[in-house]
Amino acid sequence: MKSNTQQTPKFGPLEKAFRFIGVNRIHIHILLILVSGVTLAPYLWALSTSLKYRVNVFTETPQWIPNPVNLGNYKEVFRMAPFGLYLVNTIVVVVGILAIQILTMSTAAYAFSRLRFRGSEGLFFLFIVQMMLPVHATIVPNYLIVNKLGLLDSRLALMVPFWATGYGTFLLRQSFRQVPRDFEDAAMIDGCSGLRFLYSILLPMAKPTLVAFSLISIVTHWNDFFWPLVVTDSPAVRTLTMGLAMFVQQESGADWTLLMAATIFVTAPLMVLFLIYQRKFIESFMSAGIKG
Amino acid sequence: MSSSRLNLTKIRPYLYLVPSLALLSVFTYFPILYSTYLSFFRQNVFTLEPVFDWFANYAAVFEEPVFKIVVRNTVVYALGTIPITMFLALLMAILLNEQLGWIRDIYRVACFYPTMIPMAAAGMLAVWLFNPGIGLINHYLKMFGVPTIEWLYDMKWALPAIMLTAIWKNFGYFMLIYLAGLQNIPGELYESASIEGCGFWSRLRYITLPLLGPTTVFVVIQGIITSFQVFDLVYVMTQGGPADRTNVFVYYIYQNAFRFWDFGQASALTVMFVIVLLILVFILTRFMERRVHYEV
Repeated sequence: MKSNTQQTPKFGPLEKAFRFIGVNRIHIHILLILVSGVTLAPYLWALSTSLKYRVNVFTETPQWIPNPVNLGNYKEVFRMAPFGLYLVNTIVVVVGILAIQILTMSTAAYAFSRLRFRGSEGLFFLFIVQMMLPVHATIVPNYLIVNKLGLLDSRLALMVPFWATGYGTFLLRQSFRQVPRDFEDAAMIDGCSGLRFLYSILLPMAKPTLVAFSLISIVTHWNDFFWPLVVTDSPAVRTLTMGLAMFVQQESGADWTLLMAATIFVTAPLMVLFLIYQRKFIESFMSAGIKG
Repeated sequence: MSSSRLNLTKIRPYLYLVPSLALLSVFTYFPILYSTYLSFFRQNVFTLEPVFDWFANYAAVFEEPVFKIVVRNTVVYALGTIPITMFLALLMAILLNEQLGWIRDIYRVACFYPTMIPMAAAGMLAVWLFNPGIGLINHYLKMFGVPTIEWLYDMKWALPAIMLTAIWKNFGYFMLIYLAGLQNIPGELYESASIEGCGFWSRLRYITLPLLGPTTVFVVIQGIITSFQVFDLVYVMTQGGPADRTNVFVYYIYQNAFRFWDFGQASALTVMFVIVLLILVFILTRFMERRVHYEV
């Protein structure tokens, strides 16, 4: 089911139909190039701006390829704000969230998919509710709770609310369900049951789902802004997106080459990963989306 | 001995759920109840202690003239972005579902890469592009004889600018969802349709669109949830201005809580927000599932 998202169909199903109304391959390509060009432009323009000298930003006709190239903006950004620290914080937070998510969602998904118990449907519904109501919807009480726990302005505060995931549990449950009962019986006979069965057999078999969920979780929390904005205050715990917003205030919109260098730096790690593993990313977002 | 073992197998499933349930309770369920509780108390910079005051916070919400603008902005934002995003996503998905060779990957990447950009960073890109004086957008518009638009500084154009940014940022994700939906439609359906002599539009009308029904339900609900929670773009691009013309629901909650430090008012808004969102999703699921008559 998941794997056939990769292969191209033998023939384009609508291809003949397109010809029927006089649309041929060239027309399709022209339309696709047009849309792709418009979508790519903002990022390429920002990249170009970040590599320019300040004088070349204000030219009569837009200078798409910076001439001469200036890497100094990135150095300057690093001098003005601790973006290296922000990067480390972001990685710690993203990995910290994902690691615990996998633990909590795998046992929950195991219970929901393989065990029978009273109230399972009602409890599962509670998990689904969280898919619709992320912490952002209840920002005030969550802020007060984190405050009460003494976690304000810490990296832990950035992680805790996301450790349990209704969405991940839901995805993993679907995938555990596809493992035939016989596996469990066979494992049982070998004395492998419960948690050991979960970690040595079920989870490895659900690897595609785990990868898909991991990528989505990483992207989501790497890009998160609202929650860090509310619970962090000091540079020591700031993530990249927060760092960018603070940098903008500090810079107050004066120098676009620096602002774009900061923006590009904040987006670069994920963008590079995405370009390298684009098929994996796209496949993951496709399979996880359709099941949700 | 045997009875205690029996008990253990009985509670075992619940033990597996404890970590998740504990966390969900603290950060999802309890907050909803807590918001409701807080919404009945006056609690702001003028009060030393929270004061119970019935529905005063709710009444105050409706007395605030800004609230009307906020609701209108949120609705305009949702009604404007969702259909355009869906249309673009579906169009691109249908085109990309064709056999296009290796270049298909490039188109896909070009449409999907904005998903990888943080909303806050996307907002920064947009602020630069929409710059009235030296922005790229005004530059190209001028080539077509369009007079300079002040975009984010203009009461009329600020919200559309944010909406355009959101469409650019989001349509690629929904395009993938539609692509996944399209690939689940069996090719034989098109083959038999072409034998029957069905043209492009009738195939679209009678095969593609109906079979994408469940995907569309998912896309609409996702679209509503995302567009009701728009915040980052507003924060980075306009801070709700000019004159609250881009102030949307979640931003307004944030403003009340962390700018005006009025937790009572913010909680009342939160409760209303959650209720409206749940009702919308519930109605839409019901309404649309009845209209989705084909099953894949």
